[in-house]
Amino acid sequence: MVESLFPSIENTGESSRRKKPRISETAEAEIEARRVNEESLKRWKTNRVQQIYACKLVEALRRVRQRSSTTSNNETDKLVSGAAREIRDTADRVLAASARGTTRWSRAILASRVRAKLKKHRKAKKSTGNCKSRKGLTETNRIKLPAVERKLKILGRLVPGCRKVSVPNLLDEATDYIAALEMQVQAMEALAELLTAAAPRTTLTGT
Amino acid sequence: MDLTGGFGARSGGIRPCREPIGLESLHLGDEFRQLVTTLPPENAGGSFTALLELPPTQAVELLHFTDSSSSQAAVTGIGGEIAPPLHSFGGTLAFPSNSVLMERAARFSVIATEQQNGNISGETPTSSVPSNSSANLDRVKTEPAETDSSQRLISDSAIENQIPCRSQNNRNGKRKDFEKKGKSSTKKNKSSEENEKLPYVHVRARRGQATDSHSLAERARREKINARMKLLQELVPGCDKIQGTALVLDEIINHVQSLQRQVEMLSMRLAAVNPRIDFNLDTILASENGSLMDGSFNGTPMQLAWPHQAIETEQSFHHRQLPPPPTQQWPFDGLNQPVWGREEDQADGNDNSNLMAVSENVMVASANLHPNQVKMEL
Repeated sequence: MVESLFPSIENTGESSRRKKPRISETAEAEIEARRVNEESLKRWKTNRVQQIYACKLVEALRRVRQRSSTTSNNETDKLVSGAAREIRDTADRVLAASARGTTRWSRAILASRVRAKLKKHRKAKKSTGNCKSRKGLTETNRIKLPAVERKLKILGRLVPGCRKVSVPNLLDEATDYIAALEMQVQAMEALAELLTAAAPRTTLTGT
Repeated sequence: MDLTGGFGARSGGIRPCREPIGLESLHLGDEFRQLVTTLPPENAGGSFTALLELPPTQAVELLHFTDSSSSQAAVTGIGGEIAPPLHSFGGTLAFPSNSVLMERAARFSVIATEQQNGNISGETPTSSVPSNSSANLDRVKTEPAETDSSQRLISDSAIENQIPCRSQNNRNGKRKDFEKKGKSSTKKNKSSEENEKLPYVHVRARRGQATDSHSLAERARREKINARMKLLQELVPGCDKIQGTALVLDEIINHVQSLQRQVEMLSMRLAAVNPRIDFNLDTILASENGSLMDGSFNGTPMQLAWPHQAIETEQSFHHRQLPPPPTQQWPFDGLNQPVWGREEDQADGNDNSNLMAVSENVMVASANLHPNQVKMEL
């Protein structure tokens, strides 16, 4: 099932990239960008990467389950949402790990976990008033930037760890991030399909 | 000699038709190139080469002046310079087309002036010539007037003609080559001259575009960004038709947001599904052989077979090698062989049924929801 999902995307990706740009001034920059990006994009489409991701994902999910299985099963909603967040974070971390640290967003995801833990400790000691005041200040100071720059900032906020990154690097990171996200979605979807098909739907319908 | 023969043939062909001046320049450029390229290899030889050998420096000048599609003064200078050696050799010269050569030089000077004024069609050979010796061009050039005229003449060529040469020039190192239309202002020429002398990153300006360093850097930056935007457009579905950076960025942002939302949905689904399969995967890949083999169902071959089944389905799912724990179950293969045939039949069928059977057995083994499971599945 998984292999049937992945190869289709791989073919379309390759066909769209088969056309070579004309040798001209713009094409020189294009070739350079393509060279940089094609490697990273093809990387997310190879079967090997997908399988690595799928395996690691399964293992990580199992670990998450083991951790969450210790909690009580009474409050199903809370458990599900909490588990969902954990699963998403785990999946992101696995995705970032399979990037092997070559991209900024992957490093940011892996580092954010450490930072979040530190922040938790710090929050227990300090008050959290600073963050809010800083946010208010930036809100009032902001003038209407040109539309493209505004959107680039939004994009920078969406891609983890790319808020203050230069424009061409931001676009590079966004390209890789989108490719990685697509692979993640496919893998998780396939896994979910497999598991929901495997698990009898008795809990939903039965007692 | 080949050259003389060539000249003889071409002189007959070119002399009558003076209208296609562009073609003439084309041929002349070729001939001059042949002239000068055969200069170095041939030491002794016909009178023609001897003629050119005698004033080697002048011949070198001739080379460069022809490469630059010589300016008026240069060609007449060459014509003048060739003339004295010709005269000095006088009777010893057996070269029939010396006069032809001089005529050509004279004609070429005329053509040069015309080229400066009007459009040039047959620029391909002359443009290829300067590119081939572009390295020499820089060194030999001394007067700004020469560079002016040479650039103007070079600039008339179309960009496509420069394409094969461009890759060569790109590797020439720290130079700037400029192509401008023949009608560019002298101010632009001067600025380009200055930039040519300085060691800069090699960038090529296109027609009608400014050539100072700031705008060039700006243009390089813009093109980098545009190249990456194009890649993003290809990646995001439905972005090809959209014109404009802002809208494309909108689409990209929407796409990233939708992907992230999908990941959240899927993670919620997986969280909902998870408790069911917790036992399944745990017991499959953990090293709890005893609990599996000693399940409540002793007689059914399914019991023995289901770890292998589950492992097989996982294999088909993941296409990977099994982790070490399940290999501990392999010694039981000999016992399970008669069952494998049925397993494979089942494996060819639905994966779902296999896994359902697997999970059923797991539930049975765990004995948590045993009665419910058995009821529902049966």
